[in-house]
Amino acid sequence: MRVVGEASRRWVLHVDMDAFFAAVEALDDPTLAGRAVIVGGEGRRGVVASCSYEARSFGVRSAMPSVEARRLCPEAVFVAPRHGRYAQVSRQLHEVFAGFTPLVEGISLDEAFLDVTGAERIYGPPARIGRLIRRRVLEQTGLVCSVGGSRVKFVAKMASKAAKPRVTRSFGQRSRPNEPSGAPTAFGAAGDGGVANGGGPGSGVFIVPEGQEVAFLHPHPVEALWGVGPATSCRLARMGIKTVGELASVPPRTLEEVLGRAHGAHLARLARGLDDREVQPERATKSISQEETFSDDRFDVEGLRVPVLGMADSVSSRVRQAGMRARTVTIKVRYRDRTTRTRSYTLKEGTDTTSDIARAALALLSEAECERGVRLIGVSLTNLAEQGGTEASQLSLDLGGEAKRNPSCRDATSAVVDEVRRRFGPESLTTAALVGPARRSVGLS
Amino acid sequence: MKFRCERDVLLDAVSGAGRATSPRGSMPILGGLRLGLQGDLLTVTGTDIDLTISVEATVDGKHDGLAVAPARLTTDIVRSFDPGAVEVEADDEDLTLMSGRSRFTVRTHQASDFPRVAAPAKDATVSGISGLSEALRQVTRAASSDDGRPILTGVLIAAEGAGLRLVATDSYRLALRDLPGVSVLGEGQKVLIPSRALNELQRLLSSAADETTLRLGDHDASFAVGHATLTTRLIEGDFPDYRVLIPSGYPNRLVVGREDLLDALRRVKLLARDATTPVKMALRPNSIELAVVTNDWGAAVEEVEAKYEGSEMTVAFNPTYLIEGVEVVTGEEVCLDTLDALKPAVLRPVGSDDYLYLLMPVRVP
Repeated sequence: MRVVGEASRRWVLHVDMDAFFAAVEALDDPTLAGRAVIVGGEGRRGVVASCSYEARSFGVRSAMPSVEARRLCPEAVFVAPRHGRYAQVSRQLHEVFAGFTPLVEGISLDEAFLDVTGAERIYGPPARIGRLIRRRVLEQTGLVCSVGGSRVKFVAKMASKAAKPRVTRSFGQRSRPNEPSGAPTAFGAAGDGGVANGGGPGSGVFIVPEGQEVAFLHPHPVEALWGVGPATSCRLARMGIKTVGELASVPPRTLEEVLGRAHGAHLARLARGLDDREVQPERATKSISQEETFSDDRFDVEGLRVPVLGMADSVSSRVRQAGMRARTVTIKVRYRDRTTRTRSYTLKEGTDTTSDIARAALALLSEAECERGVRLIGVSLTNLAEQGGTEASQLSLDLGGEAKRNPSCRDATSAVVDEVRRRFGPESLTTAALVGPARRSVGLS
Repeated sequence: MKFRCERDVLLDAVSGAGRATSPRGSMPILGGLRLGLQGDLLTVTGTDIDLTISVEATVDGKHDGLAVAPARLTTDIVRSFDPGAVEVEADDEDLTLMSGRSRFTVRTHQASDFPRVAAPAKDATVSGISGLSEALRQVTRAASSDDGRPILTGVLIAAEGAGLRLVATDSYRLALRDLPGVSVLGEGQKVLIPSRALNELQRLLSSAADETTLRLGDHDASFAVGHATLTTRLIEGDFPDYRVLIPSGYPNRLVVGREDLLDALRRVKLLARDATTPVKMALRPNSIELAVVTNDWGAAVEEVEAKYEGSEMTVAFNPTYLIEGVEVVTGEEVCLDTLDALKPAVLRPVGSDDYLYLLMPVRVP
């Protein structure tokens, strides 16, 4: 079977940090190194955001309820997530990536695609670039990552999974065997030079040689494909399709009938190793959000104002870091009966100041039906635009007194807050309402 | 309760009062209409606490009584009937609506749960206000819809000289209308009324004779228009000092046909594909050129004949705000006074000082 994607003249690397949050925690607190570390909420409804390989060897996984993680691994150390710190490390990572190629597409704090097509002439074949990136990341951040590479973007992402350390049941014995072994079995005998240069599965770098995409893909379960969630995999299982290879043997027309036209056609192409998506540098941030699940349902609006204010503070700080302004503020409320409602407010002009965003969020909160019992609350910013971009800006009348807003003064305050946090850490400065006994009543001037 | 009346009489009452209800709020009873019958007088009331609308209708009463029925459903049912007689009957649990061969039974709320409708305000000032409908249309549109700035969601109604002045601003534009000779308020007296209530008042006025009676209390105001009474809470706080915002003179004056300008603006606005795209207005001695450019979609340009005195320049506005101002200027010509591309511009009718619409430009990169 012919294999290669149509836009195959590029090399894509996918860099994925190993147990990122947990590794950062171990970095900042050496006593955690080598232990089962779980980053996430410890409360009744907390979930695991990330965990160390030691914890994984007990069966702990991301997105698992903390209660279950605790049961599986009673000796695990729970650490509360510090997103500000992870974002900081993430910026260091991007600096490293930028040293190799300008074509970097960050997909999350700890994951990025790099188009290294042009870098080959400077650094050699992709496998070598992968090893250099791993070394540079380790030197710059003290953290370990896995690198996958392929001519095809989504295959690169799957390859980085294959490069990951193996989780073994015996505690402390995760390893990166240097020789290819085990799954994906059909691919062990790949003849092209890519693998030999890059090390095999589990070794930290895994390159799928050109022409071997299908051989690499086919033994994988369908869930490994980008875009196959529980619903799709369940439908495919009913058709007796479990692996990508089996998926590729189904006529695309049949998949389109079963899964819908666009989705079916898309998966049919992926199963054949076809994907013309390119690495999109500076992937525009579409939204910035944060949410919190409470260990006990909250019934009064007062008990929600503090967390909402904290989230407004955090998202506005992030929108400033991104050099953007937001026009739409949304709050998401999940009630006790698991129904979720969102309400949003669109401002006339974009803002990046904490007080504007907090005011909108608190106004939206006042419309929530708290008496129904609130389980989760979140604040998000959308309608983002680059600061000082090409957007026209509506000027305002200078209203005195109570209706007065002084954006330049507020901008300055936010800038100072950001600078203090940059120097002394995210927790160094915050609104009075968020600390100490004053947490009770929150209002905004 | 039991009565008979024409469908249209009942429909006017329930749909009018229904506009004050809040069907999606946290209190289900506020999505209800209170129907009260005394003799032949039916009073239908809807409220969301802040705003209350009561409509009276004369019906053929059989038994006095009281019921609170869901507003939306009741209105939809009455509207669906063919024109003709409707018979209404209520007991403690149900309201029954009958017309022709149709018969609807609707579960009612406990009538005693219905909020006490604000009693007629004390310190009542009673007077007729004529010309209010037009003034409201000219001013309420400039009020803010941002609940985060409550003061700006109101319309200032103040005694001014020997008349009444209405002012509203959302901080991007400001509308001001004088009603000379209308002496409803005492000297120096002023109130801040939610624009939502005034929008409803304007609807009531458009379907009735333009004669309004105002009663004013410490915390609420009520307007009587024909068979309807609208009661609203007042907004507390000080309205910004708008006088300092209005420049005393302008070096540049444009005079242009109102309809010509409106037509051209509505056309070029088609190319403003999002809320932030401005219309650029190039001011030249015998014409103006309006242009809207949206990178991904294209461009629209239109020239409009006009008289312009002043220095040639280009100033940009939010097209919606500009249209909303031009729309409500009376007369065949409008006058646009400008200072420069970043200072407030003023729209007003030619030869009258009763109305002005101050508009901040859009800064274009």
